[in-house]
This record gives sequence, C-alpha cells and structure tokens, in this order.
Amino acid sequence: MASQLLPLELIDKCIGSKIWVLMKSEREFVGTLSGFDDYVNMVLENVTEFERTTEGYATTQLKQILLNGNNISMLVPGGDGPQ
Amino acid sequence: MADTVQPKKTPSDFLGAIIGHPVLVKLNSGIIYKGVLACLDGYMNIALEQTEEYANGQLKNKYGDAFIRGNNVLYISAAE
Repeated sequence: MASQLLPLELIDKCIGSKIWVLMKSEREFVGTLSGFDDYVNMVLENVTEFERTTEGYATTQLKQILLNGNNISMLVPGGDGPQ
Repeated sequence: MADTVQPKKTPSDFLGAIIGHPVLVKLNSGIIYKGVLACLDGYMNIALEQTEEYANGQLKNKYGDAFIRGNNVLYISAAE
C-alpha cells in the first residue's frame, strides 16, 4: 500500500519550484517557493502579483515576499498563473 | 529529502533577514506602507519607521513611526 502523503508534505515537495497561489479575494501570486510554516505563511521569490479588475489583470513584480497565509484559498504546484 | 540542494527559507528566516531593512507592506485593502522594519511578532504586527503611505500608487501620508496590526497584512516584501 502506498504511504499517505499529507497536504503539507506535498507543499514541502514544492520548495524550490514555482507555485501559483490563489487568494480568497480577486488576487493571485506566482513565484518560487522558498519556504512556509504551519499556518502556510509562505516565503516566495521572483513573484508576480495578479489582481483581477474589470479591465483584466493588473500585475506587480516583487523580488521576495512573506505572504500571510490567512487569506490563501488554493495552491497549484508548478502553476503558471492566470495568463 | 532532508539534504535538498536549495536552502529552505522559512517565514522566520525571512523576517530575521529583513529586520532593520527597507520593506514594503501591503494590506488586504490594497494600501501600501513603505518604511524601515523596526520589529514585528508572530501575529505579523509590524512597527515601521520613516513610513510612507501609498493608495493607488500615490503618496498619501508620511509617519515617523507606525504600528500595523497583523490581521490586515497581506504581504511583507523586501524593498529593492
């Protein structure tokens, strides 16, 4: 029987690779995952922030961020973002 | 798996590295605060010095010292 992989173990495997983070609001982030903690606060590098507006996506580039885990709704390993 | 090539950088490591440096703090409301990170805690409560408040990309206010309650923080970014 295959051993079970816990959700946070899956995220741990994503460290060093790209990840797509979707927030509860109309906001998304794509970046390289450097690390995270038990609250899924995340350290991301070379980040693109996407904010959905009526005219499309507004993007912002950020070198390194600590993203508060409180408003994260979904993580997509290897994801390339909404565009 | 324990000895992966890339170094892990947990939120605590990141915060330890940026204390005393210029940072950009974005709130859930979209308002941005730029300043020097004086200190912070596990709630992401933040004390900033030489703070500049930006709304819609425009400078709105300046504060010598500012305290930001952690529940409003969307992210903390190391300023370039």
